[in-house]
Amino acid sequence: MKTKKQKRQGDFQKIQLKVGKKKPKADNATNVNFRSKAIHLPEQLKHADSGPTTHRQLDIKDLLSKLHHINSNIKQGALVGLRELLSAQPTLIELHASAVLSEVAALFTDKDGSVRAAAVRLLRFIAQCISAERVAPFFPLLSAHLTCAMTHISEAIQEDALRVLDVLLEHYPGLLSQRHTVLLTNFLELISQKRKAGTGQDKSGKGGFALTISTNRSVTAQQWRLTVLLRLGSFLQAVVEERPLEEGVTSMIGLGMWAGEKGSVTSVDVSWEEHVFGKGRIQVFENSGAVPTPHSTYRLRYAVAGMNKELCSAETVQGFAGTLVPLMLEIWVEAAGGDRVQTDSGHLLSAEAMALMFQILTILQLLRRLTPQRDQQDILDAWFRNSYLTDFKHHFMKNFPYGLLEVARHRKKCFGISTGTVAGGNVEPLALNVTLCQVMVTLSLRGQDHVEAEDADWLGTIRVFIRETLSNGGKLSSKHLAALLEVVWRMIVTQRSRVVTDDLLQAVYVQYQQRNLAVSVRTLLLHFFSQLYIQEHQNHPHIARSRILARWLASLPVQLVQLCSRNPQLSAQLLETIHPAAARGNKDLLQSLQKNACSIYDPQEGSVVVLPVESQKRLVQILHFLPTFPAELLACLSQVCNTGRVSASLATMLIRTIHLRSPLSGWSSSSQDVPVKDVDYLSFFFTTLTGFSSEMLQALQDTDEDGLMPSSTLSPLSVFTTTLEQFLHHWDVVEVCHCLDTLGSRAQCFDVIQNAIIKNLCGLVVVPDCVCAAILRCVPRLLDVNFLPSDTLLHFLSDCCLSMLSLLLQLEQSARKRDAVWEACFAAMSTVPRLLRLVLQSLHVGDLCEEELPVLAQILSLLLQHTQLRNHMMANASLLQHIIQDLTVKTHIRLHFKLCFNR
Amino acid sequence: MSAPVEVVLSADSAGQLFNCAVFDPHSGSEFLSYRGGNTSSRSLTVLNGEYILGAQLGKNFINVWEIQRKDQLQQKIVCPGIVTCLCASPDGLYVLAGIAEAIYLWEMSTGNLLAILSRHYQDVSCIRFTDDSSHFVSGGKDNLALIWNLSSVVQLDSSRTPEPCHILSRHSLPITDIHCGLMGPQARVATASLDQTVKVWEVSSGEMLLSVLFDVGIMSVTFDPCEYFLFCGGSDGNIFQVSLCSTSLSRDKTFQTDSDGNQVFKGHRNLVTCLSVSMDGTLLLSGSNDETVRMWDVQSKQCIWSINHKGHVTNAVIIPAPANMFLADSHPAVPLPRFSRHLNPSEQGDGTGSGGMCLRLGASTQHFGLKTTDFKPLKCNRQQKRTHFACF
Repeated sequence: MKTKKQKRQGDFQKIQLKVGKKKPKADNATNVNFRSKAIHLPEQLKHADSGPTTHRQLDIKDLLSKLHHINSNIKQGALVGLRELLSAQPTLIELHASAVLSEVAALFTDKDGSVRAAAVRLLRFIAQCISAERVAPFFPLLSAHLTCAMTHISEAIQEDALRVLDVLLEHYPGLLSQRHTVLLTNFLELISQKRKAGTGQDKSGKGGFALTISTNRSVTAQQWRLTVLLRLGSFLQAVVEERPLEEGVTSMIGLGMWAGEKGSVTSVDVSWEEHVFGKGRIQVFENSGAVPTPHSTYRLRYAVAGMNKELCSAETVQGFAGTLVPLMLEIWVEAAGGDRVQTDSGHLLSAEAMALMFQILTILQLLRRLTPQRDQQDILDAWFRNSYLTDFKHHFMKNFPYGLLEVARHRKKCFGISTGTVAGGNVEPLALNVTLCQVMVTLSLRGQDHVEAEDADWLGTIRVFIRETLSNGGKLSSKHLAALLEVVWRMIVTQRSRVVTDDLLQAVYVQYQQRNLAVSVRTLLLHFFSQLYIQEHQNHPHIARSRILARWLASLPVQLVQLCSRNPQLSAQLLETIHPAAARGNKDLLQSLQKNACSIYDPQEGSVVVLPVESQKRLVQILHFLPTFPAELLACLSQVCNTGRVSASLATMLIRTIHLRSPLSGWSSSSQDVPVKDVDYLSFFFTTLTGFSSEMLQALQDTDEDGLMPSSTLSPLSVFTTTLEQFLHHWDVVEVCHCLDTLGSRAQCFDVIQNAIIKNLCGLVVVPDCVCAAILRCVPRLLDVNFLPSDTLLHFLSDCCLSMLSLLLQLEQSARKRDAVWEACFAAMSTVPRLLRLVLQSLHVGDLCEEELPVLAQILSLLLQHTQLRNHMMANASLLQHIIQDLTVKTHIRLHFKLCFNR
Repeated sequence: MSAPVEVVLSADSAGQLFNCAVFDPHSGSEFLSYRGGNTSSRSLTVLNGEYILGAQLGKNFINVWEIQRKDQLQQKIVCPGIVTCLCASPDGLYVLAGIAEAIYLWEMSTGNLLAILSRHYQDVSCIRFTDDSSHFVSGGKDNLALIWNLSSVVQLDSSRTPEPCHILSRHSLPITDIHCGLMGPQARVATASLDQTVKVWEVSSGEMLLSVLFDVGIMSVTFDPCEYFLFCGGSDGNIFQVSLCSTSLSRDKTFQTDSDGNQVFKGHRNLVTCLSVSMDGTLLLSGSNDETVRMWDVQSKQCIWSINHKGHVTNAVIIPAPANMFLADSHPAVPLPRFSRHLNPSEQGDGTGSGGMCLRLGASTQHFGLKTTDFKPLKCNRQQKRTHFACF
């Protein structure tokens, strides 16, 4: 027992603590004689062995993990690091897109402003690098976070959410527009709040939302609303623009309507030559039968349009507009009257109010455009009219032509800095007014008389404004002008009154007549008029009868002449109107065209030679509709064909057109009017055939140029060698002498040509080679079997033929020319045997000098070598023998010819 | 002599020997001829297999013959103006005439003038019906071709002016000829124009499928029944054959490439104004301003026979031989009514017999249209169509 007790005492010995003595240290006391220091590791020491890193040697995993850190500075640092890393290594983005995007998106709702700002910056950077298709899979996540941020309770986060929205709108408008169901309500909630059920019932007309004002924002309520409305506007814009185009899509009176039809079926275009040589294989059935065309009225099923479909119908838009429009009206009222109560200067607005109003109007416009189908759009228009016309009239039109308040302008300098971030740019009063007009005219209805009277007051105001804006001589930018023209178009079409039409068109015409307009503006105006004429002409007699339009049409040919070659695009556009107008037989245009025809088709500087090929072609086609062809015009046209400034194929087309218009061709069924007189027609043909006018031929007689081959015994005519280009061009043009072939009486036709040749050509000493070739080619084709050509003609032809044959032997430059010359001689001699005889008779061996003998020998061998000619040669055997005898006597080369003859 | 299956009907502008005549497509021998006056271009048509209608050249009336009484001009229909083209619907219920820039539509059972369509700006040069009479296509000298739905034109209330369902505006010079393929509203239409192109369009959508550019203006165009080939008559007298379905098999055939001569029918010396292909697609008939009508073998492109006329050939067509043509003692089932010259909306809207007729046609074509949507991807299936017709 005792030992136990002692033991226990030994274990728990009590140490006596005494005053004045130092307290002994406990055994387990911690030695605190050290100093600690924190170690920061902002960068890693290891060197890139696991992948690319930032300058702090952090790789992407480190950075991503730091985003979850509780400290906002670290988060921000990580975001900055990520941006650095990704910009250095763009390939990483693709690899880690999912992780990066989800982590960044989570930070949209971060408490700290600087983190959010960094996140937005990073998002902007990423968005620049990744295409919309690659983001699409992660977009639901992004938009969920965006929605979360937009609906966040903290107002700062809401504001920053709009920045995120900006980035997404800029880079992925298509993806974003698919999320409209959620986003649209978010927008509403940003500026308003749902009324409670009870209060909502009271003001049932005003929709279930009321504007909110929060006092603790950094910006004023107006500025905040403006920022939100700006985003809403651009979002709706994205929805409208990104919609897949479907059948019957018309942006109503917008410029899109003027754009003309765009077929979705790619048609096969082939030319006959390609087809013949097997290049243009045609497979028509591929284009129609197997795959149903999207534009066909028959379709198996409607294409899956996704969520967009919901926003296409009028009902959905109505539903949304029903809440939004009352809100916007309230904003309008606050903006208009809130800061200025006095009524006399109600039309003067501060810059901010103006921007706000402009946004409201833009959104109204966009709402209308949300429905692509025409019928739906009409429903929507009617709905807007019924529900809001009085409101709009009351609020919008009260002080209609708005202006900028002068006071605001003075203060703008100091204001600019503070509001610059919020305001949607400086909105010009003109832009506001024009947009207002655009919105209001869509509410005007077509047709009915009683409605017209109702609308007369406010439409009248708008009309006056438009007229003054257009005709006060100021220059408008093309954007404003386009909008104004839209309004004009709509008013003309809906109001159906001649007075209004002429009034407005006159104003546009004043604008059109201004000098020194920018090309884009000029084009726009031109386009407006031409589309007005082409599209609405038929349906609206009041447009068709408009004097201004008639005057404009009549001025087109003059403009074409004046424009010359200065602006081919503009000329082409003019022609685009002239052509259909001419085809429709518009009297004013045709008269003016007739008057200016000679200058347009002038061979020296007329439009037909100076413009590009496409326009030339149109001009030639327009010829078809010309009422008459006076002689001087035909003279111009013949020169146009021959000067080589239009291609040979186009010249051929021109000749054919004139041929068709002539009553001789027997095509035109109505024979009351004679567009081309027969005499003129034939002389046109002869001139074209010759290729040279009589003056030019006369001038040639006296020249002594290099191209001249002197006449000799073997070449009775002195031949003027034309350039290869000219010769071939003329050769191609002459091809059309076939047209003459088809005239009613061949004998008479030939008689006329024969007389013309005798009268104009036979006396000449110097003849261009192309003329010789053309005559030799044409005569045998036109010659009737029963008709005997006159001796004078035949002698001239034989001279031509001989001259050509000797020319042929000197030609080395081009095989084509040689072929052409030979073809012409051959055709003439084989069809007219008397000609061959005359040629042979004119070969007087005795008169030849020594050098010419080989030439003669070559000609003979040429003639003998050809099988088809041989029969005719046989008929002239005695003559031939005689020549050869003379020749052999003279030169002793009988052997050579024996060989030739036997071959 | 057994009655021929098909006959050739042709007319010329001189009218010395006859106004129009019927020939044997195989030998070119003349069967019948109808006398009196002459016929303007694209205005000879057979109505319901019982009458021949032909617009007098340069005058404002239409000559009518009963098809079996060849020597006797039966009637003249006086029109408000010079008739530039004429076409009877294949079902024999309607007649269309182009008079200056307007199209007149008459109902055959009553003779009522149902509509005047003035959407062309210049003279109408050609009108053609689709084979089921549901649509028609008109082409004018204003470069436009319009596709109309007959039922919408007929059944319209007077408050609205009829609108064409499609406007084909891609030609740049007057349209000279139109040909409608088979298959009703699913048909393809070929238009020829002086702008040197032939274009092929789809009736249902108005889309252009093909455009072929030639060296010369094209005056006439036709398909063969299978739409394997497009035949285009040029203003230089050549007839061009365009193959519409060059299959991939052609790669194996490189050695016998189609040379120039192989795809052109050469023989005419002036504008080829009319073209027509026989039912089996082996024979091609052409009429020209060189005053001849020629029959060609499509396969070998040789001329089989040619007939000389006394003037420009204005109409030449191969048609299935009407039953009455060779029975001298037959009579038309329906007497030809008097054609009214004025639009009379009150009479038209009565809902009498004529109204009933319109309705039935409208319903049936609508039905057919709906059916075809179901068979959209199928190619032409004539069997199918026949069954549809049978169930009406």
